[in-house]
This record gives sequence, structure tokens and C-alpha cells, in this order.
Amino acid sequence: MAAKSPVKEPPGTSAVNPTTPLAPPPVKPELPSSSEPDVVNVPSYSRWFSFDSISECEVKFLPEFFDSRSPSKNPRVYRYYRDSIVKHYRENPSRKITFTDVRRTLVGDVGSIRRVFDFLETWGLINYFASVKTLKWEDKETKSSAASAESSSALKETSKRLCNGCKTLCTIACFACDKYDLTLCARCYVRGNHRVGVSSSDFRRVEISEEARSDWTEKETLQLLEAIMHFGDDWRKVAQHVSGKSEKDCITHFIKLPFGQEFICKESDSEDVDNKFFSINNPSDAVSESENVGATSPSKRMRLTPLADASNPIMAQAAFLSALAGVEIAEVAARAAVTTLSDVDDRASKGSLMRNTRQQGMNSNPS
Amino acid sequence: MKLPATSSSKAPVKFRMPTADNLVPIRLDIETEGQRYKDAFTWNPSDPDSEVVVFAKRTVRDLKLPPQFITQIAQSIQTQLTEFRSYEGQDMYTAEKIVPIKLDLRVNHTLIKDHFLWDLNNYESDPEEFARTFCNDMGIEDPEVGPAVAFAIREQLYEIAIQSVASAREIKISKKGRRGAEHAISSKGGGNALDLMKLFRYNSSVVRKRKEWYVYEPIVDILSNEEVDALEAREDRNTR
Repeated sequence: MAAKSPVKEPPGTSAVNPTTPLAPPPVKPELPSSSEPDVVNVPSYSRWFSFDSISECEVKFLPEFFDSRSPSKNPRVYRYYRDSIVKHYRENPSRKITFTDVRRTLVGDVGSIRRVFDFLETWGLINYFASVKTLKWEDKETKSSAASAESSSALKETSKRLCNGCKTLCTIACFACDKYDLTLCARCYVRGNHRVGVSSSDFRRVEISEEARSDWTEKETLQLLEAIMHFGDDWRKVAQHVSGKSEKDCITHFIKLPFGQEFICKESDSEDVDNKFFSINNPSDAVSESENVGATSPSKRMRLTPLADASNPIMAQAAFLSALAGVEIAEVAARAAVTTLSDVDDRASKGSLMRNTRQQGMNSNPS
Repeated sequence: MKLPATSSSKAPVKFRMPTADNLVPIRLDIETEGQRYKDAFTWNPSDPDSEVVVFAKRTVRDLKLPPQFITQIAQSIQTQLTEFRSYEGQDMYTAEKIVPIKLDLRVNHTLIKDHFLWDLNNYESDPEEFARTFCNDMGIEDPEVGPAVAFAIREQLYEIAIQSVASAREIKISKKGRRGAEHAISSKGGGNALDLMKLFRYNSSVVRKRKEWYVYEPIVDILSNEEVDALEAREDRNTR
């Protein structure tokens, strides 16, 4: 690779000039057969990198090559390792190179090579993919995600969901608001990290399962029902009719659909969520009360907004966890916790002189 | 140029690789659960032992091997390192030894045969440098050949160094009062070593005889896929 590729950065990073001012102006690199120009992304904190010199940063982090303690480790050898590794990577920047690939082609001891490799990787000079962090099972697709970095931010893709509040990838569960087309991760939802004017009740919980099966919107459910009416048991045709769902998804969802009256009551879903949330409030309060022996009266007939108040970190955490786990699970868990706590209290006070504890336990127990 | 007999013996030196860098050649050949992993590389014995596990984990991750390999690789490396270190305290006699080094290796599609002389007393010698120059001169394109050549040289030097430790020990045992010890050294240090005195006698020439040229000429062959497959099959059969 004799030609020096021009180096470009993704937005937010600064320009890197691979040649020093004294070097002759670079020859215009011949473009390879593909029409795309050769570009390599380098993070801004690595702008010191240059093929023609060694920077202080390198001396600091890899002192073994610069302290003349070993005759085989000197700056020349360091540059040989460094330049070979970087050039090897830049031959195909969309592919992640491994240490083993590289050390087989370099003459020298593997310990030093590994340290140079790790250094270059940490500083993003190799294996740097300026894209959104993808989920583990999508590692093979880093190439395609690098290409679609710009487009994935606000799109509701079936496999990736980004939070509009903190711009991280949502895992396990997220909260979607169809009205304003927003997606929030559990943490942002609990903190109320959304625009003014949007209330928490506008959101519904969406589970993100391992196979990234997306939620079913009303439209899709309607399509599904239509298709079943038309095609009956022919799931292949049903799946074709419903956009974006596989046969298996269709069957699974259909089985899970509620019947009859429950189905009619679906509009009040969002209110249900609210009610369940605030009934959680009470058990959660009970939990924190028995812990803190505080006297917060169960007059929390308030809406969801108190969850946004993170001043009580325990409450915030409990809220976050219950939002993440979902309504039913959180409810059951809270009830189980309360029951156990009262059991423990009973047992502790039986046959002991601590009548006060029982008194307190009984008082704070909302049952 | 006549060399006095006494200069052919030297005070014993502490064992080390007779090269500029004291690097150990490590060879791995591990088979577990039907998968075979073969590798060869150079290790710096002054690296901390923690590096062994780090390297093993890294290699297993990069090559996507099953995790049982990690402990096996680490153990194998550790054993070879310990063996190397066990020689370190001991003496070796190197005398004035010029030893022949033979290269006969295959790396992917490149076959290399070569035969040259190496000065064991030159502690500044550098097999890696030799390998780099060799690849440049012979126009070898496969980047994996260089390290393999360096490794082959290093391995042979290591063998010879170990032998000279063993022979030093023997000599010590038999040395009591024997004056012929010096001659014993020069003859014991490997039957392959060239006797410089004989070589540089006044009536002989340092220029190699023409009929011997072919022995010392490097041969680099590029093999076709079928030949590679055939060779690999034969190697596997031989090692099992």
C-alpha cells in the first residue's frame, strides 16, 4: 500500500493530516476499482498519529521500546510493528483485524507485538468503526451498521431501537409513544427525560426480545386479523399480508391475542398502565417504609410524575427496575417482598421482647 | 592464517540464546475434541508470566477455538518457558563454532529450502534481520514466511545451545585433571561444527568449491493448491 489514503473523520472529530508539512505533497492516490474513495476514520483523540514520526503519546504508553533496556526493542522496531499493523488494517478498514492475524506476519516476539496492537486498538487507529454500538449478535454486521450509522438514529427499525433521550441503544424493554413517535429507554422514561407536553401516560412498554421481535402496532394486528379471516390457516399467506412479520411471529401473536371483551377494552390500555403503576407505588412505599421506618403516609394518590423525581435514589431505582421488568412482574415481586417482610417481622417478634418492632411492622403494613 | 590451539577454547558463558535478543522459540501442537491447533512463535522470556494467559485467551478468541484450549495453550507455553529458564543458570561452551543451519519449511504456499553457516559466537546475530533480508531478496510475497524463517533459525540455535550446555556438563565431569579437555570441547560441541582452523589453513581457500554451490543455494518454490493439500495430508499422517 504505497498510496497514502486521505483521512476523514465522522462528525464530531477533527481532521488528521497524515503527512508532515515538510514532506512532499502526496501523490493523488489512485482509486481502486470501486468508485468509493479510500477513507479511513480516526478519532480526534488520536490526531497525533503520523507514519513519519513517533509522538510523545506512544513513548509514554509503550516505554519498552524507548528505554534502551533491550537491544531488540528500539524505535525502529516499534515503527515496523506499528506501521505494519496500521497498514494491514487500512487495507480493509471495514474488517476487524485480530492480533493473531497480525502477529503471524510480523517478525518479533509476540508479547511486544500484542502490546503495540492493543495500544493501537485502544486509540482507535485500528478496528475503529465510527458507528453506533451494535448489540452482540450483530457483530458480524458491523460493516452494514457502519454504513447506516447516520440513518439509524431515529428510525424505528425492527432490530435496533435508539432512545430519543439519551441516544443509547435500548435493551430488554423500551417505551414507545406512537403519538409523537418517540422512543425512550427505561431509564429516560423513569426520569421523565422527554419533551415538555408529553406525559408518561402516552408511552407504552415495548419488550425487546433476543430475536428482536418488534411489537405489534394496531395496524399490524388489524392486518393480521384480516388476513386470518381471508386465508384461515394458510400462515404463509397471512405472513405475506402482514408487512414485516414472519409466519412464526404471526402465529405467536395470534395465540397471545386477548379475546372478546378484553379486546374491546384495549383503548383503556394506557390508563390501565397508570393504575397499575400507582398501585405499585403503594407496595414500593411499604417496602421503603419498613426499611426506613419513616412515616410517609400512603397518600400517594398522585400520577406517574413522582417517578421522575430522582431525589430518592432508592425510589428511582425501584421505579426504573419495575418499568424495565414490566407491570405484572413488578407487581408480583412487590407483593411477594411485602409478604415476606411481614413474615420476617412476625417471626422476629415471636418469643422475643421486641414488641415495638411488631407494633411498627403492623402500623406500616398497608394490609 | 594459523590460529593457536589454545584460542579455540573459551571460558564458559552463561546460557543464553546466541542472538542479539534473548527470545525463546515456542512451538504449540495441541489437539482437543477433534480440533488441532499448531503454531510457532517467538517469546520474550523477560515478559511477566501473566502475559502467557493473556496471550492464550487472545489466541483462542481470535481463532474462535473452544475454551478448553486456553489452559492447554497456557500450560504448554509455560512448560517451554520453564525449560528455557532451567538452562539459564548453567554454563555453556561455545568455542569457535560455525554451525550449519538448514531451512526446510513450508508456509502456506511457499516452500523454502536453504542451507547456510551461522556463527554461534556472534551474540549480536539476529535471525529476524536475516529473515527480513531473505524475504526481501527472494521477493517473497507471503508475509507469514518471514516470521517462520526466523523461528526455524532460532529453534535450531536453541537446540545447539542446549547441546552445548549438556556437553559442558559432561566435560566438567570428565575434566578432572585431563589436559585434553580443550580438544574435547572443540570436537564435542556438535559434530557439525566446522573447524575454523581447518578451513582457514594457508593452502586452502575460503571460496566454496563450485560443486558444493547447489548445497548452499536457497530454493523458494510456490506450490499449487493440490500440492499443498498433498503435503499437508502427508505431514498429518507422519505426526500421528
